[in-house]
Amino acid sequence: MTLSLANRTVAPKSNDLRIAGSRMVLAAALVMIVIGATLAYAAQTQVFDPQTHKWVEYDKAKARKYYAAHKEVPEAFRPQRVKFRTAEVPGTIIIDGNKHFLYLVQSGQQAMRYGIGVGREGFGWAGIVRVGRMAEWPTWTPPVEMVARDPNAVKYAAGMQGGPDNPLGARALYLYEGDQDTIYRIHGTPEPWTIGLDVSSGCIRMRNDDITDLASRVKVGAKVIVLMEGAALYKGV
Amino acid sequence: MSAKRTARRSIPAVVLGLVAGTMIACVSAPAPPPPEQMSRTKVETAPADLQLLCASAVAKASGVDSAKILPVSSSKLDSKTYQVELDAGGKKTSCLVDTEGNVKSIVPV
Repeated sequence: MTLSLANRTVAPKSNDLRIAGSRMVLAAALVMIVIGATLAYAAQTQVFDPQTHKWVEYDKAKARKYYAAHKEVPEAFRPQRVKFRTAEVPGTIIIDGNKHFLYLVQSGQQAMRYGIGVGREGFGWAGIVRVGRMAEWPTWTPPVEMVARDPNAVKYAAGMQGGPDNPLGARALYLYEGDQDTIYRIHGTPEPWTIGLDVSSGCIRMRNDDITDLASRVKVGAKVIVLMEGAALYKGV
Repeated sequence: MSAKRTARRSIPAVVLGLVAGTMIACVSAPAPPPPEQMSRTKVETAPADLQLLCASAVAKASGVDSAKILPVSSSKLDSKTYQVELDAGGKKTSCLVDTEGNVKSIVPV
């Protein structure tokens, strides 16, 4: 390479080109890693499509589309009786947050299994708690932390009356650690398409029909075991 | 003429081949899973009941109150075995359980 002062052009050195090239490759790699991580997080769950006989990613967009088409959640997330081998007594609630299932232990090594929505990234929790109280079409009062971070919650800081648009839906089971309210609930929802997803601020949400069924079968004081790999915090242990 | 004859003779063979190929494809398409297995996660954790069988076994072995034993993570080791990590009253414990619900081992970590 030669410098030409006469025409005032300076050809870039080959070393600079190499450095620039390496930086571009590194930047592209970082972008791909972020995209990959985002996609991986966004689609941890897959459901089997009986029409195409294929496993498909189940994310918010797919869930919304499926519900719009079928007016129902995918079959895996509908209530069903399943085999459940356990020493826990009938009436115990087991939550598998990673797979989005809630089990109500029945006799004969069986359980009723319901689909659930759980806490989004950073809001998942695990532990052993109990049902402290229950309510029908409950009033929803957002926690102070939610009011602080979510502008949509501000207008309900004093409470939102129960009803079909209330985020708690038809029923709420309030989860206690000893005599202390954990602020977590198992509740219904006006957004049934979110069942099977990581969407909430930590509460466990169910279809309104399912929470109504569960509430009719459960007693205050029932043990609730919440299993969640990667939980952000633990209660009761 | 012989070329035409050859072509005509090979038509049944082609048709037979297509039918056979279609049947093979239909037969070899896997049956759909039962409704209770129509969802899965990319990172496979142990079924909840197997995790709790480990918790019960740890409670029995350690004498720790089962209300203080919580499975905190799990993974599939092979087609028949899961490894479950538990917190037993603040102590970490590892459990191996098979798909039949038999606890194979419990090891404090």
